[in-house]
Amino acid sequence: MLQCIFFLSDSGEVMLEKQMTGHRVDRSICAWFWDYVLSQGGDPSKILPVIASPTHYLFQLFRDGIIFLACTQVEMPPLMGIEFLCRVADVLTDYLGGLNEDLIKDNFIIVYELLDEMMDNGFPLTTEPNILREMITPPNIVSKMLSVVTGKNSNVSTRLPDATASCIPWRKTNMKHASNEVYVNLVEEIDAVFSRDGALVKCEIYGEVQVDSHLPGLPDLTLSFSNPSILNDMRFHPCVRFRPWESDQILSFVPPDGEFKLMTYRVKKLKSTPIYVKPQLTSDTGNCHINVLVGVRNDPGKTIDSITVQFQLPFCVASANLTSNHGTVNILADKTCSWSIGQIPKDKSPSLSGNLVLETGLDRLHVFPVFQVGFKIMGVALSGLQIHKLDIKNAPSQPYKGFRALTQAGEYEVRS
Amino acid sequence: MAPPPAPPQKSPSPSQPSGKSEVSDLKLQLRQLAGSRAPGADDSKRDLFKRVISYMTVGIDVSAAFSEMVMCSATSDIVLKKMCYLYVGNYARCHPDLALLTINFLQKDCHDEDPMIRGLALRSLCSLRVPNLVEYLVAPLGAGLKDGSSYVRMVAAVGVLKLYHISAATCLDSDFPAVLKSLMLTDPDAQVVANCLFVLQEIWNLEANKSEEASRERETLLSKKIVYYILNRIKEFNEWAQCLVLELVAKYIPSDTDDIFDIMNLLEDRLQHANGAVVLATIKVFLHLTMSMTDVHQQVYERIKAPLLTLVGSGSSEQSYAVLSHLHLLVMRAPMLFSSDYKHFYCQFSDPSYVKKLKLEMLTAIANESNTYEIVTELCEYAGNVDVPIARESIRAVGKIALQQYDVNAIVDRLLQFLEMEKDYVTAETLVLVKDLLRKYPQWSHDCIAVVGNISSKNVQEPKAKAALIWMLGEYSQDMPDAPYILESLIENWDEENAAEVRLHLLTAAMKCFFKRPPETQKALGAALAAGLADSHQDVHDRALFYYRLLQYDVSVAERVVNPPKQAVSVFADTQSSEIKDRIFDEFNSLSVVYQKPSYMFTDKEHREPFEFSEEIGNLSLGQEPVGNSPRYDESDKDLLLSTSEREENGGPSTNGPAASGYSAPTDYNSSLVSLSSQTQSETAISDPGMPKYTSQMTLAIDDLLGLSVSAAPAPPSLKLNPKAALDPGTFQRKWGQLAVSISQDCSVSPQGIAALTTPQALIRHMQASSIQCIASGGQSPNFKFFFFAQKLDGPPLFFLVECIVNTSSAKAQVKIKADDATASEAFFGLFQSALSKFGVL
Repeated sequence: MLQCIFFLSDSGEVMLEKQMTGHRVDRSICAWFWDYVLSQGGDPSKILPVIASPTHYLFQLFRDGIIFLACTQVEMPPLMGIEFLCRVADVLTDYLGGLNEDLIKDNFIIVYELLDEMMDNGFPLTTEPNILREMITPPNIVSKMLSVVTGKNSNVSTRLPDATASCIPWRKTNMKHASNEVYVNLVEEIDAVFSRDGALVKCEIYGEVQVDSHLPGLPDLTLSFSNPSILNDMRFHPCVRFRPWESDQILSFVPPDGEFKLMTYRVKKLKSTPIYVKPQLTSDTGNCHINVLVGVRNDPGKTIDSITVQFQLPFCVASANLTSNHGTVNILADKTCSWSIGQIPKDKSPSLSGNLVLETGLDRLHVFPVFQVGFKIMGVALSGLQIHKLDIKNAPSQPYKGFRALTQAGEYEVRS
Repeated sequence: MAPPPAPPQKSPSPSQPSGKSEVSDLKLQLRQLAGSRAPGADDSKRDLFKRVISYMTVGIDVSAAFSEMVMCSATSDIVLKKMCYLYVGNYARCHPDLALLTINFLQKDCHDEDPMIRGLALRSLCSLRVPNLVEYLVAPLGAGLKDGSSYVRMVAAVGVLKLYHISAATCLDSDFPAVLKSLMLTDPDAQVVANCLFVLQEIWNLEANKSEEASRERETLLSKKIVYYILNRIKEFNEWAQCLVLELVAKYIPSDTDDIFDIMNLLEDRLQHANGAVVLATIKVFLHLTMSMTDVHQQVYERIKAPLLTLVGSGSSEQSYAVLSHLHLLVMRAPMLFSSDYKHFYCQFSDPSYVKKLKLEMLTAIANESNTYEIVTELCEYAGNVDVPIARESIRAVGKIALQQYDVNAIVDRLLQFLEMEKDYVTAETLVLVKDLLRKYPQWSHDCIAVVGNISSKNVQEPKAKAALIWMLGEYSQDMPDAPYILESLIENWDEENAAEVRLHLLTAAMKCFFKRPPETQKALGAALAAGLADSHQDVHDRALFYYRLLQYDVSVAERVVNPPKQAVSVFADTQSSEIKDRIFDEFNSLSVVYQKPSYMFTDKEHREPFEFSEEIGNLSLGQEPVGNSPRYDESDKDLLLSTSEREENGGPSTNGPAASGYSAPTDYNSSLVSLSSQTQSETAISDPGMPKYTSQMTLAIDDLLGLSVSAAPAPPSLKLNPKAALDPGTFQRKWGQLAVSISQDCSVSPQGIAALTTPQALIRHMQASSIQCIASGGQSPNFKFFFFAQKLDGPPLFFLVECIVNTSSAKAQVKIKADDATASEAFFGLFQSALSKFGVL
């Protein structure tokens, strides 16, 4: 079980310490950890998530410039430690509206309160954001306004959430709402890898069904798809009942209030990809000519938006001179080159070309960059998944139902 | 660099307020506010508290303001209360006398009408952790456990554990465990149940060594009734509590196959839980439940595949890392499992390198005839990767796959292409691989040498690669026209060569080359020997001297020594023995998997789980049916060995040395029974300190080595065994747990016996004829494991319990005997041994 949690800044400074058990963990462990980070090159994001120090076993998670460090001396499931830290990071991001050093330092009391409710004696308790939010009010603008107006600025609700007593841990027993609406969003990420010759090495879609529910009472929802057979590797929110899915592929659930991830899925072995990127690199006596073409391969039927192409210039490139006929090209200090295209214009296909000067002594380029492509397509789920219908039982009046879809590039890579 | 987080009251960093004056200022302000009932008092208090706590957070010692803080704590504001609790919890330990001040207001808060405050106060009260305040804890805890609010009960349950850690006696005397137990079985709130379970497990685990009753209690936690009760409510628990429950279930011993299937059906949907920890815990349960059912075990592998792959793909890279470690373990046991899903392990550009590394290992492990081509193609893509360490790793992975013998032809071509890439690290890695390949597949030498010959040794700087190149130059000097001259130029630069490894290889290569092309090499060899003799490195010097004298003595002998006809290496020594892997597998879903070491290799002894034999033996298949692969059997005796050797470390000073060494190298003794040293080591590790058997076993072991069959002179069988002896598995298990090992020895099995031991049943029937019954058996060639028992014919019912591990490849049997009457065990061992020696002969 976790004995202690530290928050460190990305320069190794201890920002916060929360002891969990009677075995106090000395702060010197952080110094050890930071020495370790430095010995590994000093980049906290590249450090193994599970490390053994001479005295403790450490779990570390690096998020947005903050290192979450948990210590234990006993054997425990590693994923439990890591998952828990992920949850802490998620909850804090949710509460503080972001995550950075200043936010943590300004709100450390809330952080303490949250950690107190999330873990007791090293054993995780509640990490469900909906429940935590009822025990500890987030420091949002409304409550700040309220505190200014009323002069009371307690951010702790005076009563315990009903949920801890109800048998549906993710929902209050008695919810009253002014609004009566529910939104279902399909958010998909397409992961694809293309080889040097343009062949598709791997293509998959990772999708999430996100629900934003503001319904009164205890509504019982059923959501069905027209083509559930394409789905693989589903994972469900605890509220989803397993049997109806097993027998009829119907999602039946009592939703938590607010936004949550109802289900995640994967669609494998896709053949069509929306965009092609064709890089060409030709080396010639210390120079390398680069030419990248971008265009639509399979038209998804909606506009492809926010297209970007990003790649790391090999370290043996001394200087680069890149121009494009559409969009803007930037070369950052760490030799990352990013080309933001936006939408593909109707009349021409965007291309980027230029010359890379190699370091002296090198004749041709041996290391080839990987082109990472980003884009967004609103209004379509590329996997082809379609929602058939959403039924709501137990609702006093028929609520408003909204459906949306979005596909964006996940790990969309083109090798050269 | 981090500012040193050392005691900041001594050296506060300049950016922070410099301790003393600030603290006394705060004290003053707090004192002024303490009694104030003014309307704005709470707000100003809150600001002050916030400052105090922020100092505390940065590491400044503000404990001096303790009494002022306590004075201010009489408030109804819950945030103030929380801050105060936090402060008190932090400093109470170093100021036990002051902590007494807080008891009063905390106890009062424990009776507050708001359950939230009651809970918080109780939590803080228990978190004070001051031993002499324990008496004040009992009453509030007792009340808390009966509180109407589940929040308070939940806090109180964990509070009991905190109390236990401060003072175990007080906790047990107040009978809290019993209260928790009834609460666990009756409370309507799942979180309360989970906390009770968590606390009870911890308490009984720690108590089990001390009292019989506690270990019984611990077993009742694993009883069918409790496990089923909790399992039936599993959906009410939150995700973390589910992990806890699943850990418990993984230890549960199912009574029959229906039991197993019931549990698996109930838990199947947990595999699709959004929390990875739950998924992995469920998988552990599945794997452990089906350990003895080969078919189902395979089906389980198929079933868990998809959820595991999903976990790898989704979630943060830290999560994928943990999951990949587990996948790696699974793949070691069932390589076929993921062979068609190899694309899941293709590296993404944005993966951190620790994930990439594991993915490369996965790709290496799952490569087989059907997918080698694709995998190698993919790996070759990474060789040009921007991330140099990963590029290196991927070249190594290609080499490893080649050594696994799949599609070598294509791979050799690929490797040779790497050499043409003219990238120094690529060349370096490839050279090492080509060397290994040539040692295994000498038939490829022609193609490789043609390419290797073109590499200029100036482009190779890394010692390992240079050594490999030099090795090839020496070994294939007849095929490389330039070899002697390259070697010569290398020898000329002897002094610039820093790595001893390279110089050693240079010496040997010069020798080899000399025997193949004497006239061209003679000069170079002379220079090399001279340089070697003058070398400051001991090994280099010695080798040069050795060669020199060898050449002086007889050149043809020297040739036979240095340049014997070589045989292709068929198997390279594996880095990790299969026992270790089995052991790690047993600790699935634990840190062991991530470290790739069993926990006894890295955890502190004080934190190690108490040895649980009953659980392990319970996983043997009961009855006499043969079972398929049951790797756990190796584990239980590992544990046994481990625990006995530990006991010795503490208790037996006479055998301290060998036992300790046996402990530090636990991997050796099971695998290499051949060497005398390890044999005696294992024996001392096993033998009970009370028995004066050490020397006799030592001689036996030597006899054994000399080829004297130990069974030649068995003890006179004055002992008669009851042919109808009966013992139920439960009793066996209990006895095995209670009794000490009275004899532990290796004996040999006749070749005929080995031949007859195709299934465990053959031996079981044979031993039955000698009135020795089998109670459980298992294993697969070459390791079989049996648990036997026998009963003395006349007199009181005295039992002998035997654990026997037969290794068919070494024709050895390891026998461990435990007896009700230890004095008769020698005689029984004679009987057992003679029975065993007859096996297969008749």
